[in-house]
Amino acid sequence: MSEIMLIIAGLFLPLFPMSMVFNGLFSRLGSPLLRIVLLLAWPLIGVAIVSSVGIEIPDWIMVWALLTAILYGFRALVLREVSLWAAFIATSLWAVLWLVIDSNEAGFSLLAFFALGFSVPLALLVLLSGELEKRFGAAYTGLYNGMAQSLPRLSWVIVIVVLAIIATPTFPAFSAVMTAMLNIAHGSLTMALMLAVAWFIWGWAGARLIQGLLIGEEREAAVADMSSGKSWAYAAALVALIYYGVCMMGGLT
Amino acid sequence: MDQLVILLLALPLLAGLVNQLFSKTLGYASAKLSVSAAVVTFGVALLLLIKMFSSDNTAQVMLADSWGILLADPLSSLMAVLITGISLIVRIYSVRYMIEEAGYGRFFMLLDFMTASLLLMVTSGDLITLVIAWHLVGVVLYFLLGFDTKSPVASRYALWTLITYRIGDMAMVIAAVLLFHAFGTWSLTEIFAQITENPGQHHYFGMPVEEVVGLLLALAAFARSAQLFLHTWLPYTMDGPSPVSALMHAGIVNAGGFLINRFAPIFVQTESVMHLLFAVGLATAIVGSVLMLTQNDIKKALGYSTMGQMGFMIMECGVGAFSLAIYHLIAHGLFKGTLFLAAGSVINEARQHDGVPKQDLYTFVVERRSAKRRQPWLVMAGITLAVPIIILFMAHWLVAQDFFQKQGAIVLLFFGWITGAQLLFNTYRMDVQNVWRLVGMIIFSFALVILGYVLISHAFDLFLYPDPAFRSEIYTAAHINVFWFDVLVVLTTAIIVAGWVLTYYSEQNRLKGGEQFNRLWLSFYAMVSREFYLPDLYAWLTRVLLKASARLNVLLRWR
Repeated sequence: MSEIMLIIAGLFLPLFPMSMVFNGLFSRLGSPLLRIVLLLAWPLIGVAIVSSVGIEIPDWIMVWALLTAILYGFRALVLREVSLWAAFIATSLWAVLWLVIDSNEAGFSLLAFFALGFSVPLALLVLLSGELEKRFGAAYTGLYNGMAQSLPRLSWVIVIVVLAIIATPTFPAFSAVMTAMLNIAHGSLTMALMLAVAWFIWGWAGARLIQGLLIGEEREAAVADMSSGKSWAYAAALVALIYYGVCMMGGLT
Repeated sequence: MDQLVILLLALPLLAGLVNQLFSKTLGYASAKLSVSAAVVTFGVALLLLIKMFSSDNTAQVMLADSWGILLADPLSSLMAVLITGISLIVRIYSVRYMIEEAGYGRFFMLLDFMTASLLLMVTSGDLITLVIAWHLVGVVLYFLLGFDTKSPVASRYALWTLITYRIGDMAMVIAAVLLFHAFGTWSLTEIFAQITENPGQHHYFGMPVEEVVGLLLALAAFARSAQLFLHTWLPYTMDGPSPVSALMHAGIVNAGGFLINRFAPIFVQTESVMHLLFAVGLATAIVGSVLMLTQNDIKKALGYSTMGQMGFMIMECGVGAFSLAIYHLIAHGLFKGTLFLAAGSVINEARQHDGVPKQDLYTFVVERRSAKRRQPWLVMAGITLAVPIIILFMAHWLVAQDFFQKQGAIVLLFFGWITGAQLLFNTYRMDVQNVWRLVGMIIFSFALVILGYVLISHAFDLFLYPDPAFRSEIYTAAHINVFWFDVLVVLTTAIIVAGWVLTYYSEQNRLKGGEQFNRLWLSFYAMVSREFYLPDLYAWLTRVLLKASARLNVLLRWR
């Protein structure tokens, strides 16, 4: 019974091919707000199911989760649509939550914190993709080069949000991935290496996204940059995330 | 001392934050703010080093419960002076150099954050802080190298750098986690104390944990210090601003040598890692130097020169000369930084005048015209082989009479001897008015360099590793079986002598028209000029991976 529950949880803490359900749903939702709700709620359902089962996660599920993380990170490398990129990376990151789960110690609240640590920056990216769509009609990389010169505020926010997503220190995702590494490295070098590969790919995918959006000659048509108030709001959210990440690092034992 | 360490980190961080938040209000004053902060930071670093000389204590500052430890010890204080010194020079240089660039304030902000990250790295007293700083240096460097956001080329090679650094980052993370599992603490001091007390106590998949961690840390050092197969990013990142190149080649790329020194208590407990360091360092030094000689772009040549120097630095660690590696990285940092900052002026001047001095050295080296009248070959051969070795032995004997017992010292002596002999061998046929004056000057310069190198590195040894037993342990860890050591020395000598004979033979043959040799030489040159096809191979691999990713997406219908 409990193993069936774990498989059901595999829908929400995505394991391939069940992960396709989330990605299908995400791309069908047109509204950024609904997408954000989905990004925030989806892994929490999985966390709740796993917490209620309360059994140790078998190694085969962990390997499955790692393969899913690598697969979606790898597939995100060539994605040009920003929202779709966020969904694929979300799938990849959430799979890592399986490695953080330790039935004896990690309760629902801690797991939920880790899940939100992954999801909040992704939700911010979906919001930012809305900003891009508002200005250019679509949020694609390689479509409008040179944003770093024409829209410096928006560019800065995008860069920092992407850094938060790809588990750069000291954002919460970094603490979550470090915790996952702590849980698996002593038992299996192969799993530790697989997690390292996934982490490596997130960095690569993130850098490709940034380059596709910001680098190149500035476009002639002028569009308005993000307002100062809005950029301060994003900055406040990011500072809160850094603080949250630093606090989570205290629990790395 | 605690306040000094905190101040050391806080100053550049604060300057960076102010520059970022108030860049519009500050305008060009952002440079003034950054330079002022750099001057004070350099002063603080100097004060810390002086304090370290006057008292033999190390200090630790705890910012959190289990991590956030800042360490002030001889290694961190020495590295802090180097980092703050070079970043101060780079900032002063950049004030005018970058004045016409868009994003003037952003540039200084990034320099401030880079200095803060580097200082955090060298003062880290625990594994989490070290991992954080190690990551951040890579991230900030990515943005510094891609500073010109209009240039896709600069951005492309910044990405190469980031990708290579990430390989090292991952190795470092796994090493940190394994150490925590084995010793139950993040604190470096506590881990080292436990290892020194009970070495080889913990195992990981049948291997001592020190061996596994040593290998992982070596990989992290290789990625950061551009060792063979992880080097392609270094010579290609020249599209970034010159001050960034100077900072990178003078400071950031040296991090591998620092890391090995920081984890010296672990490396001395390993069996094979030191030999790996030697082999990889040696291969990198040779390949880097060969590639440097074939470049026609001054900055790219400097890039490959750095690769060669980093190879020497890692090789020195491999023979147990840890503190010599630190001296090497400081010396290299200073001269390479100067070369990069001067490269622009040289290029500019060369565009107006070719700058080639029609003198003896040019006609001998470039035009390959040697003297018609030569000295007796037996006398010259005697000087070539004997004088360098006498100078080297005398210099080493001055600082440590027992240096014959250390294989590492013998290896370094051997390299010194070959270098000196090669120098004399190459120059005694020069067409100069007074050949004995030339030989005398060469011997005098060689003696001066060797004496300075030996004395200063000995002083570094005493400062960084005051415990003589530990110093001896480092050399012992680098030892190999005496038989194989002798075999290697004889083999290397044979290869070098064969090289000399081959050179002589080719000179003779050239006159008679040795076409076969020329063809071989041209094939080798073509391979070197394509940098052994490594950048092409990596570019091809990237294309294959990206194509596979796209195909997979189509196959899975973007779900």
